[in-house]
Amino acid sequence: MTPERFAHLAEAYGAQLQRWPAEERAAAQRLLASDDAQAKAALQHAQWLDGQLDGYRVAAPSPQLAQQIIASASPPPSLWGRWFGWLFPASFVGVGVAGVLAGMLVASLALPLPSSAHEALPNLFDSGDADLVQSLDTTEDTEQ
Amino acid sequence: MRLLQHTPRCPGRFPAIGPSNTSLNEPDPDVELLARIGHNEPAALQEMVKRKLPRLLALASRLLGDAEEAKDVAQESFLRIWKHAADWRRGQARFDTWLHRVALNLCHDRLRRRKAQPLALDDSIPEPVDSQLRPDQQLEAQAQSDLMAAALAALPERQREAIVLQYYQEMSNIEAAALMNISVEALESLLSRARRNLRSYLAAQHGDVQPGGGL
Repeated sequence: MTPERFAHLAEAYGAQLQRWPAEERAAAQRLLASDDAQAKAALQHAQWLDGQLDGYRVAAPSPQLAQQIIASASPPPSLWGRWFGWLFPASFVGVGVAGVLAGMLVASLALPLPSSAHEALPNLFDSGDADLVQSLDTTEDTEQ
Repeated sequence: MRLLQHTPRCPGRFPAIGPSNTSLNEPDPDVELLARIGHNEPAALQEMVKRKLPRLLALASRLLGDAEEAKDVAQESFLRIWKHAADWRRGQARFDTWLHRVALNLCHDRLRRRKAQPLALDDSIPEPVDSQLRPDQQLEAQAQSDLMAAALAALPERQREAIVLQYYQEMSNIEAAALMNISVEALESLLSRARRNLRSYLAAQHGDVQPGGGL
């Protein structure tokens, strides 16, 4: 590193080498170790301003500000809120399941059975056997 | 000259800060805390405030020179944290860099709004008092702090931003340049001019004595 480059970096980043670009620090250290007068003068020049900059202190945040900020986060849900949060989606699931079951029941009652089972298990809504049922009733009345 | 990609200033969204501009190889120390905030852990909220509020407030105070506005910026920045914590994903910008971008943009908005007015130092900023100092030393320290605050406030906005990010916020040159959407060389130029201007301002206040010896 040239003394000019050293002075340029000191003017930009100040006197503390840890604030300098990482890739320049080792070369800067070597230049300083060689007792280069220009580098030392540049560092001293920058050191004064660093001291002035360090003198500017800003107030630490007050506990009240910290509390306000924490309070601004969404509050944890209440007990009722947690129950509601659980029940609300569960109710949707329950309604859905009930709907599916109801649909299956209606379908099983309304749809015609396969032809093989038709004769053995007449459908409740099938009126094809009405004559047979009526004739059986008539027979029973006659016997009485 | 290596120019960095321009990213839009949008405080409400995740700013696009490319991986080359951040230290993504190092683990982000805030990611775990963000996940805990996402799970509504009250202790995590307190930890985040403890970890970030002093730096955010210092950044806004030095950029705006107004204690009340600085508090507003800090509060608004934290609202963004609470909003985005649960959605934060590893691998995007480092959280601290993102947070600085959010706070910087909020400061930019406020500076734009008062563009017509010169930056006025807020006398109500409560300065910390070092109880270890004698009263006369406290007064001297207070005067030095006020003087430096005035010198910083007198800088052009971009120079002030550069010195605040690099010196006070202790950001690397790459991080500071990325936040300002400029190259590292441009950052160095801003820093050099800022330090020269500060030196001139302070020299004038010290009675034209060239501080720190001349080069």
